[in-house]
Amino acid sequence: MPTYELALMLRAMPKPELKTTLTRVSHAVFNRGGIIRNIENLGFRPIPYKTSAHGLVHREANYFIFKLDTATKAVADLREEYSRDVDIVRQRFYKVQTDEQPACTLEEEMLPPAYREEVQQMIEVGKTQVNRFTYKFKYNSGLDYYPFQK
Amino acid sequence: MASLQVVIRQFLSTSRRAVISTIRPYSQAVAENDDAPVEMENPYKKERKQCILCKLNIKPDYKNYRLLSQFQSPYTGRIYGRHITGLCKAKQALVESEITKAQNSGYMPYYYKDKAFLKDPKLFDPENPIRFHRF
Ligand SMILES: [Zn+2]
Repeated sequence: MPTYELALMLRAMPKPELKTTLTRVSHAVFNRGGIIRNIENLGFRPIPYKTSAHGLVHREANYFIFKLDTATKAVADLREEYSRDVDIVRQRFYKVQTDEQPACTLEEEMLPPAYREEVQQMIEVGKTQVNRFTYKFKYNSGLDYYPFQK
Repeated sequence: MASLQVVIRQFLSTSRRAVISTIRPYSQAVAENDDAPVEMENPYKKERKQCILCKLNIKPDYKNYRLLSQFQSPYTGRIYGRHITGLCKAKQALVESEITKAQNSGYMPYYYKDKAFLKDPKLFDPENPIRFHRF
């Protein structure tokens, strides 16, 4: 089960309603065999742009982040269920990337063009593309005359 | 008499050499090449250049929208290019993807920079790009 992050925006509402919404959201995950590792509350704050959802314009929202482990196939299902939820203004699933950081290549990128690997490759490719579009008639085609205008 | 002295001196010198050679076989060779060039690494070699995110080992994240907004133009909200930010290719691509994620999930505006972050320290100078551009 891969790890996902669910960024949720919930509409402005009193605390008890918020609680029921959060339990509803998390039960949807549990019902599909998922685990919630962590729930973060990023607070109630103005949205940088106005959003309309379910026939209402929202300018403020409650921000939440769910860290969850679910099956990949359950994600589309969850997304569909949350899209029907009137209290959810916006929901985004992001897969958590656990990649090792590659070494910085800034040194190689700052070299003069002739010393850069990708420029050298480009030149090699360019050498193979010379006269690609000029067609040269071959006289061994079996015709005893030249078929084009001279 | 003189010939005897010469013989003795020769004997002494050879014996000393023999003794030295038995104790430290290479000392004489080193003493001979004392001012010869020595194999060493270039002491004037410059430090390897690194972009600011790699140097400080920061991984850009869409939840850290304050950091990401530093790569955004305060006038148009657009992301500055690699020749302005001075990031390596991998980090620039990561920053750009994380900014789109942050904008999409409602943490960051699209068309302007959050005015609370306008006085944040500058990581780079947009007026002095590495490579010339026509804007
Ligand atoms: Zn780097």
